[in-house]
Amino acid sequence: MLELVDIGRSYRVGPGEMHILRHLSLTVAAGELVSIMGGSGSGKTTLMNIIGLLDKPTSGQYRIDGQDVLKAEARELSRLRNRLIGFVFQSFFLLPRLNAWRNVALPLMYRGTPEAEARSRAIAMLERVGLGERTEHMPAMLSGGQKQRVAIARALVGEPRVILADEPTGALDPKVSQEIMDLFLALKREYGVLILIITHDPGVAAQCERQVVLANGVLTEVVPAC
Amino acid sequence: MLKRVVAEAAANLLASRQRSALALLGIVIGAAAVIAMLNVGAIARNETIRQFRQLGTDILTLRADGNMGLGHFQLSDLEALPLELLAVREVAPFVIGGGSAQHEGQVAHSSQLGITAAFAQVTRMRMREGRFISDYDRFELYAVVGAGLARQLSTPYAPIRVGSPLRIGRYVFTVIGVAEPMLHSPMMPVDIDSTLFVSIPNVRRIMFNPSLSMAILRMQPDADAEVVVGQLQRHLGPKLRDQRLSVQSARQLIAGMQNQMQLFTLLLGAVGAIALALGGVGVMNIMLVSIAERRREIGVRLAIGAQPGDIRTLFLAEAVLLSVTGGVLGIFLGIAGAWGFAWLSGWEFVISPTAAPLGAGVSVAVGIFFGFYPAVMASRLDPIEALRAE
Repeated sequence: MLELVDIGRSYRVGPGEMHILRHLSLTVAAGELVSIMGGSGSGKTTLMNIIGLLDKPTSGQYRIDGQDVLKAEARELSRLRNRLIGFVFQSFFLLPRLNAWRNVALPLMYRGTPEAEARSRAIAMLERVGLGERTEHMPAMLSGGQKQRVAIARALVGEPRVILADEPTGALDPKVSQEIMDLFLALKREYGVLILIITHDPGVAAQCERQVVLANGVLTEVVPAC
Repeated sequence: MLKRVVAEAAANLLASRQRSALALLGIVIGAAAVIAMLNVGAIARNETIRQFRQLGTDILTLRADGNMGLGHFQLSDLEALPLELLAVREVAPFVIGGGSAQHEGQVAHSSQLGITAAFAQVTRMRMREGRFISDYDRFELYAVVGAGLARQLSTPYAPIRVGSPLRIGRYVFTVIGVAEPMLHSPMMPVDIDSTLFVSIPNVRRIMFNPSLSMAILRMQPDADAEVVVGQLQRHLGPKLRDQRLSVQSARQLIAGMQNQMQLFTLLLGAVGAIALALGGVGVMNIMLVSIAERRREIGVRLAIGAQPGDIRTLFLAEAVLLSVTGGVLGIFLGIAGAWGFAWLSGWEFVISPTAAPLGAGVSVAVGIFFGFYPAVMASRLDPIEALRAE
């Protein structure tokens, strides 16, 4: 369970301050699929960085499973990122010099998991996302949809509490986008993991059970039309 | 763990092959320069030791200098030295000159020494065949030749041997001895190996205006060279009247040469160190370029949970791998270079036991030193910034 309370984030610009987020609160339960929509400049990326523990808010509280994650210092933060959060990026961000399974195994490696175990878990996860036959492929030999599946496998392999997907379908054509969304829905049911999808595609947002809109640094819940 | 880090670093270096090869070349040349220079120093030192080993270090050379050119000793003054000075064991006065000798149509220019029988003992000359000049030979037309000169004067049909006739000027000498090959000693004004020896009385027959201006002297083993030099100055100086006596000791010469050698080694080492530093700058350059190119990868790794230390290790491993490889290749290239130097100078090739480990160690240290800053820079990247990089 993820809990953001009264989050504010401002940057010092010259003499004044620029408020990107203000009094933002959001509570998401395990197993929920939530879309966060917002135009450019709305603070989406800042919010994602805060949720992803890459950035700290200037005010407010942030708890994952009741644990106050804002108290952690740098080393502890990277450990928390490694254990609690799986990232999926718009342009995949696979490491070009590692093959598919090594890319997937990376979070486990940084956790100190022995290579043999990391490998078998990575391969199992690749099988789950439908790439069982491409475990040794280099990223350059994979299509966009396949790369995103590898990235999703990498996000999931460490059994995190939160999957944070930043425009996960932004670089894919509609058919492949739909496949990726179907995969997210299936994984959510299967692993009970909390998935946050940041998007500006209403079609993607519509498939999420909860939709929130970020505008002017404040979140608004969208009530499903039906 | 270590294996994986090294394998990954190797894969990353191979991915940008050309750039890595250039950085490697810098380190190889640097390490090779250090190793070659240190080894050349060792070769030169070895050569000096070899040169002095033959004659020993308890040797002095005396020279009389007149107002114009070389001076003149009285033979009896010199020959009395072992009797008058306790510290002097034996003395060999000689007349120095040069000219050509002819044998079976072979003509050779060489230095010519007029000597006494003591010369062979003092310089530890050994005869390959025949005997040395004796004090009883006096005006007999006998000559002894050094090994090198004998080779020059020999023809395939008539090698120089005992009994061979040698025409020198208007006289025909008979070879009574051929010496064994000898290294040139820095203590001697001539290379004994390519010298012709006759008795002092015969000198007037083959040289124009000869003068007995030099002597080589062996001290008692326990004598202090500086004391003996003082004694000689006091004893011989007055007898030379207005001529000057200069005495040079082997130890003095060795000390001078050692100083020179140290300077030489230091200089060469400095050249090598500069080359190595440039190689290090090359490594730093390639690491910085590589980090700039891989910012996003660093961002992803940090987001996924890499500790800054993991990122530092990743890049430091690349720098160290480059410099270790460079150092190992540098050892081979450096030793080959030193061998080439020995071959060109005709000196004996020796491998300095310290050069290779020192050179390789220094090159690894350079890699770590120049790789550390980029690696630390990479580990301090802000993941947000790094992920945003294109």
